[in-house]
Amino acid sequence: MTHPSFEAQVDAYLDGELAVVDARALEAHLAQCPECTRFRDGQLALRAAIASDIPKFQAPAALRDRVRAAAQARSGARRRFTVQRLWRPLALAASLAVVALGSWTLARRRVAGEVLANDVLTSHIRSLMPGHLTDVLSSDQHTVKPWFNGRLDFSPPVYDFAGRGYPLVGGRLDYVDGRPVAALVYGRRQHLINVFLWPSPRGPSGGPKTRDRQGYHMLHWTTADYSYWVVSDLGSAELQEFAQVLREADSP
Amino acid sequence: MLPHLDTAYTLARYLTRNAHDAEDVVQDACLRALTYFDGFRGEEGTSARAWLLAIVRNTAFSSVRRQSPDALEFDEVQHSGAVADVHPEAALLRSAAKETLGAALDRLAPEFREVIVLRELEGLSYKEISDVAGVPVGTVMSRLSRARARLREALT
Repeated sequence: MTHPSFEAQVDAYLDGELAVVDARALEAHLAQCPECTRFRDGQLALRAAIASDIPKFQAPAALRDRVRAAAQARSGARRRFTVQRLWRPLALAASLAVVALGSWTLARRRVAGEVLANDVLTSHIRSLMPGHLTDVLSSDQHTVKPWFNGRLDFSPPVYDFAGRGYPLVGGRLDYVDGRPVAALVYGRRQHLINVFLWPSPRGPSGGPKTRDRQGYHMLHWTTADYSYWVVSDLGSAELQEFAQVLREADSP
Repeated sequence: MLPHLDTAYTLARYLTRNAHDAEDVVQDACLRALTYFDGFRGEEGTSARAWLLAIVRNTAFSSVRRQSPDALEFDEVQHSGAVADVHPEAALLRSAAKETLGAALDRLAPEFREVIVLRELEGLSYKEISDVAGVPVGTVMSRLSRARARLREALT
């Protein structure tokens, strides 16, 4: 027996376009309906096949050059006028600003780390309040990852470490450090682990830095692509182990 | 405009099914976009990307129609049966030999092809696709589901 009404929702669900309430109902149905689960698996297989067989193209360089030239020609006249009038005072102001900025950033960078840690911890605590934990509730990494499409300007790496005792619980959007970030939720027995990540301009750092606040443990590190913050009330040793598992999964 | 050029080119490439035409379409569309950009204020939540892609899409559709004026007019109902093919003969071709996914995609009506490209390759949201294709979100969803059903046949 097939269920057309659920089948119709599978696409929207996998595209991350199904409302949370409907998604929960669908997940509950999938859990006990082999036919619909087979249908979903087929749709997942199709996605994988499209991803591997249907290429994206790059615009030819010549085309890019022509478009760039056309865009410049259009705004060129106006800009030349402004640039010539403004560049001298601008250059002076810029050199003064560089000196001032240099000393100011050094002082500020130290404070910024603390502010960010507070930000992350606040988000973690808020997420533990009823109904705030996940926007997409699924232990399937192939559901959670695509859910972020169109919601973030990056596609966060999502893993399922159920085999290592850290099952994926879900994901949500969060707002940290003045930008939307991905928050992935992993479980460990009764404990929850929030993993916050966003693209990092800084480049890779060494091992995780630890912080303890209000009974929570926090770990922070940066990979080549992402800035990571991991927060939990889990014991410090176990959280370190989780971070290790995550870092191994990330390193190619 | 330049950040979306690869996406624009990919869409044009699949709609025209031809590298040379795709290049012409994108260049044409970009010039048009530059001319009308002052008219675009990002109102009503339309993203700049969707706005540019809509111009590319419409340019590609008119280019394709110019080249084969005898092609069947797209008809939501008629194309919505089990087959979403451009030509009826496609069904025969399909049964003759197992076709590749790429060939199956090429044989879809462009209205189905574009939703697959925008969603699966470029990751646009339903809302953005509806802005690009100029149809309601519900139509985007039904086209996606029909196009996927048709592509799944190529996999089995």
